[in-house]
Amino acid sequence: MNKMSYKEKFVQMNKEAKATWIVAAVIIIFWWLAGFGVYGAFGFGLTILGMPAWFVLSCFGSWILSIVLVAYLIKKVYKDFELDDDEFSAENKSGKENTDE
Amino acid sequence: MSNSFMMLAPVAIFFAVLMVMGFYIQKRSSDARAENYSKDYYIGGRSLGGFVLAMTLVATYSSVSSFLSGPGVAWQKGFGWVYYASTQVVAAFLVLGILGKKMAVVGRKTDSVTAVDIIRNRYQSDLLATISAVVIIVFFTTQMIGQFVGGAQIFSAATGLSYKSGLIIFAVVVVLYTTVGGFNAVAITDTACAVMMLIGMFCLAYAIITKGGGINNIMATINEASKTARATGQGFDMVSPTSSNSIPVQLFITQWMLCGVCTIGLPQTNVRCLAYKDTKSVHRAMMYGTIVVGAMMIGMHLLGVLSRGVLTSIPEGASTDTVVPVLISQYMHPVLAGLTIIGPLAATMSTISSLLIAGSSAVVKDIYLHHKEAKKEQVNQNFVGKISIGMTGIMGIAAVLLSINPPDIIVWINLFAFGGLQAAFFWIFLLGLFWKKANKTGALWCIIGGLGSYIFVYVTGITIGAFHNILIGIAVGFICFIIGTNIGKPVDEKVGRIFFPEKY
Repeated sequence: MNKMSYKEKFVQMNKEAKATWIVAAVIIIFWWLAGFGVYGAFGFGLTILGMPAWFVLSCFGSWILSIVLVAYLIKKVYKDFELDDDEFSAENKSGKENTDE
Repeated sequence: MSNSFMMLAPVAIFFAVLMVMGFYIQKRSSDARAENYSKDYYIGGRSLGGFVLAMTLVATYSSVSSFLSGPGVAWQKGFGWVYYASTQVVAAFLVLGILGKKMAVVGRKTDSVTAVDIIRNRYQSDLLATISAVVIIVFFTTQMIGQFVGGAQIFSAATGLSYKSGLIIFAVVVVLYTTVGGFNAVAITDTACAVMMLIGMFCLAYAIITKGGGINNIMATINEASKTARATGQGFDMVSPTSSNSIPVQLFITQWMLCGVCTIGLPQTNVRCLAYKDTKSVHRAMMYGTIVVGAMMIGMHLLGVLSRGVLTSIPEGASTDTVVPVLISQYMHPVLAGLTIIGPLAATMSTISSLLIAGSSAVVKDIYLHHKEAKKEQVNQNFVGKISIGMTGIMGIAAVLLSINPPDIIVWINLFAFGGLQAAFFWIFLLGLFWKKANKTGALWCIIGGLGSYIFVYVTGITIGAFHNILIGIAVGFICFIIGTNIGKPVDEKVGRIFFPEKY
C-alpha cells in the first residue's frame, strides 16, 4: 500500500488509464494482424489443431495476450493505495454542502 | 415426463440456492441497512472483493445473446463470427482499468451510490441527472424484458414447458432474490451464475466433441460445407474471417466500439466501480474478468461453430436461435442437459438482476431521494427500505407482465438499447473523469445529440456504408460535447478540486 496524497492518486490514476488504453490498442492491432493478416497471407489452408490458423492465433492469441498484458499492468503500472481520502474528509464534508446545490 | 423431470431437477436446485442466497444476504445486512439503506441495498456497502467483482461484471455483461443467439449465428457463419465476438475480450479490463479507480475515489469522496450520482456531482446539473435516470429506466426495462423473453424461450424449448410457465418460474426467482437481497445478493448470485455458465459451457463442449466424433471429424464437415459455399455461392464460407463477405470489415471496426471500447459507458457495468473494496480487488478483478470473459465469449461461439459437426442443418425457416436449445435437449443426457441449460438461464438471470437493481436505484435514489434532499427533508431509513424494495419488486413484476406478450415498441427499443446507452453515456463518463473542461452544457448536448442521432438513424434506416450505427451515435455525441463545452460555463473550482486535484 502506497501512501499518496489525494492529488498524487490522480496523477497515478491518469497514468494507469493511459497505460490501459495503450494495452487495448496493442491487443486490437495484434488481433487484426493475426486474423485478417494471417488469413491474407496463408488463407484457410494453414491449420492449428485442425482449425484455421488465423482463427486460433487471433482469438486465442488475443485472449492470451490480454491476460499477459493485464498481468504486466498489475505488476508494473498499477499501484495500491487507499481509496478513501482520510486527510481530506473534513474538507470533503464542508465542500459537499456547497456542491450539492 | 421423467426425462423432463431429470432435466428440471438441477435447475430447481440451482434456483433454490439462488433464493437462499438472496434471503441470507437480506438477513445478514439488516444492521448495515438500518444505518444507510441505499448505500447497502444499491451498492453493497462498497465491500466487493476481486473475484466477486470480476464475476458480477462478466455475468452482467454476458447475456442471453452470448449463450443463444451468438452461438446460433456462429453455427451458420463459422469462425468469422467467433472472430467477431472475440472483440469482447477487452471489455472486462477496460472499464476497470480506465474508470475503475477514479470512480471509486470520487465516488467515496462525493458519497455516490449510483452512476447518476457521479454524473450529478461531476456536472452539477439536476436536468442532466434526471435525463440520465430516465434514459436508464427506459433502456433497462426494455432490456430486462428482452432478457426475460430470451430466457423463457430457451427454458421452454429445452424443457418442453410452455413459454408462459417457463417465464413465470424463472422470473419469480430472479425478481425475488434481487428484491430482497439488493446489490450484494445480485453480486453473489452473479458469481454463482458465472460459475454455472462455465460449467454449462464445458458440459456442452464435451457433448459436442463426443457426438461430433472428435475435432477432426467436425472440421471435415465444416471444411466440406465451406468448400460447397465457395464453389456454389450458396451458404457461408465458415473458414474465412468475413464468412463469404457476410461480415464486412466495416462491421468488425464498429464491433470494437459496440462490444469493446464503448462498453465502459454502460451504467449497469460501470456502477460496479463504486462497489468494490480496495485497489487489490480491482486489480485481481481485471485479471479474473479477462480470463473468464475471453473463455466464455470465445468458448461459447466456438462451440456454436463446432456444433455444425453434430447438427448439420436446421428445419427450413427455423431461427438459428434454436441451435443451442436443440443441442441441449436432443444430444445430451437429461441430467447433463439440466446442468447445461442452467448456463444460458444463468446468463439471463444475472443480466436481469443487475438491470433491475440499477433501474430501481435510478427511480428511488436518483429521482425520489434526490427530490427529498433538495427540499431538505429528512428521510427515515426504514421508509427508504420500504420504497427501495417496493420499487425493485414493482419494476420486476411489470417487466415480467410485459414479457408475456411483449408490445412491439418494447421489442423495437430493445434493439438499440445496448448501443443507445453507450451513445448516451460513453463520453459523459470518459470526458467527465478525464477532461477538466467538460461541463454540463457539453454533457447535455452529448446525451441529447448522441442518443437523439442514434435513435434518428434507427428510425429512418440511414446507415453509413456497412458500419454499425453506433459510429454515428458516438461521433455526433462527441461533436456535440465539444461544441457544448466551449459554449457553456467552465466548471467551478469546488468540483474541479474533487475531480481534477492534479490541475490545481
